[in-house]
Amino acid sequence: MTTMTEIQTTQVYQVFIQATPEAIWEAITTPEFTAKYFHGARISVTPNSYRSLSPADELWGDDAVLEFDPPRRLVHGWRSLYAPELAAEETSRVSWELEPRDGGVTLLTVVHDQLEGAPKTAASVAGVGWMYVLSGLKTLLETGEGLG
Amino acid sequence: MDDDRVFKALADPTRRHLLDRLFERDGRTLTELESELEMTRFGVMKHLRVLEDAGLVVARRSGREKLHFLNPVPIRLIHDRWIDKYTERRVSALADLKTELEESA
Repeated sequence: MTTMTEIQTTQVYQVFIQATPEAIWEAITTPEFTAKYFHGARISVTPNSYRSLSPADELWGDDAVLEFDPPRRLVHGWRSLYAPELAAEETSRVSWELEPRDGGVTLLTVVHDQLEGAPKTAASVAGVGWMYVLSGLKTLLETGEGLG
Repeated sequence: MDDDRVFKALADPTRRHLLDRLFERDGRTLTELESELEMTRFGVMKHLRVLEDAGLVVARRSGREKLHFLNPVPIRLIHDRWIDKYTERRVSALADLKTELEESA
């Protein structure tokens, strides 16, 4: 058995959020919302483009939108432009799936895959990376508070 | 994904072992997971079911295969809910102590 964890080329994260798919969709596609839970990034998503700006207006992400089906499914490319060694890697893919459940709850699934050509990116978003974002998104939608 | 289910799912050594296997390499089939355990296929399926109900494992189809992925978010939420809470209390206890000492000085 090795102590090193293999690079996970597909990562799956799931969380139940007490909010409608419409509210979650808005929270993941509008910069005013994303700034409150996505490391301060102001992310704008249109049917054709996914753009992420840092609080200092640096370009953190600029990728193609591959599927845009509000408020159910969003798929976009991912290249971490905020760090040169990550930006040099190949583009991976992020899918957001929103499924309404009973009691006003929505199951949000985030799949980050096609990471074969981006091992450093895979390691940087794994574990705390996506968890921090999703936990912050849940807190924001359920309590109205951002984690900063 | 309530806390009870997560704690119950984590209270069993076989289930923690399955999570450790998925942590090392994610996206495995039942057959792969079963091959590393001294347990029947049915037994492994039952444990995976409990983990899925707790939201700790997510099963997704990939072609003909059903792959199991570790979902760490419920553990993170428990961390946020419990660990942060106690850290905060300790910090505020120190803050109270400071106020008290400074006032009586």
